[in-house]
Amino acid sequence: MKKRILIAAGAIGVFLGLFGSWVTYEGLHRTSDDKFCIVCHEMAPMVSAYHTDPHGGQGESGFKASCVSCHMPHDNVFNYIYTKAKNGVVEGAIHFFGDVDAIDWHANRKNRDKFVYDDGCISCHSNYKTNAFISPKGQQMHTHYDALLGTDKQIGCASCHVEVGHMGLRTVLNYYKPEYEYYEGKFDAEKEAVEKGLIEAFKKGE
Amino acid sequence: MSGGKTLAIAGVFLVLGVMSLIGGESDSPLKPIVITPELKEEFPLKSHHAKLSFECTFCHVGQGDDPKEFTYIGDEGCLSCHQSKEHMAERLAFMDKLHVNPHNSIHDGPTLYCDECHNEHKPSTNMCTECHEHDIDLWMRPTP
Repeated sequence: MKKRILIAAGAIGVFLGLFGSWVTYEGLHRTSDDKFCIVCHEMAPMVSAYHTDPHGGQGESGFKASCVSCHMPHDNVFNYIYTKAKNGVVEGAIHFFGDVDAIDWHANRKNRDKFVYDDGCISCHSNYKTNAFISPKGQQMHTHYDALLGTDKQIGCASCHVEVGHMGLRTVLNYYKPEYEYYEGKFDAEKEAVEKGLIEAFKKGE
Repeated sequence: MSGGKTLAIAGVFLVLGVMSLIGGESDSPLKPIVITPELKEEFPLKSHHAKLSFECTFCHVGQGDDPKEFTYIGDEGCLSCHQSKEHMAERLAFMDKLHVNPHNSIHDGPTLYCDECHNEHKPSTNMCTECHEHDIDLWMRPTP
């Protein structure tokens, strides 16, 4: 009798474990792309610029990195889930209760080292030091990057690759929020085109 | 060992020694440049480049190891990192709408020399101000 109970408990345990893993995996997977993230995150210009970038599916291979590929830490699964949950709550609160117009996107770009995670970049670009397509100067800079790792001068991929993943980001941001008054009201048509493009892209499931 | 043989062996070593000295001189690695506070003051870097902890020879490629002897690296030097003038113009594409993109100006297109406006070790000067002295602040920030 005891044996039966043990086996039943074990089977239920295995089932719950597998089910829990599956739910977690599906949950994380389905909440990782631009179509989901943009529901709460204020990032229409970022997503628009992403759609014109190789990382947004415009490369020769058509490969598309998801938002979390670059904007979540990949060092361990707990940190990943914690960061994702924290961002979800914070961004959701800003979206529903905060002052969205007060967000200074141009200033935030200066913090790109903080929200672009190198381990995400390197998980795909693992050959960043040996890739023969990288120019000699690029290779020299990557060696420099490596030399600074772990020091107080450490830099990140986004330190140099300023618009990586979002081609023409500064331009699209200006369509939404001009850096200078001089441009105010001059980009209405461009902004409208961006919004329309996003709706179409999401309709097509891009 | 006879005196002649000793002399011959000594001669061979002497020749080899001299050869290694000559060879050593031509292939000697450059001395690493220690960036002292004085050097920093004399040749300050732009903040965005300083943040990346660049070494002098990253830009001054093949110019030896004496910073006082270094010369302008030319457009080619700048573009070894910054890709191309067209690429730099593209990054400011929104400014094209009002024809004020300094990297793609209505006067010169993307053809200006980098150092017409940008300097590394002294404040930059914006060439546009030569004519647009009064209105340039409206559409452009100080030249980095």
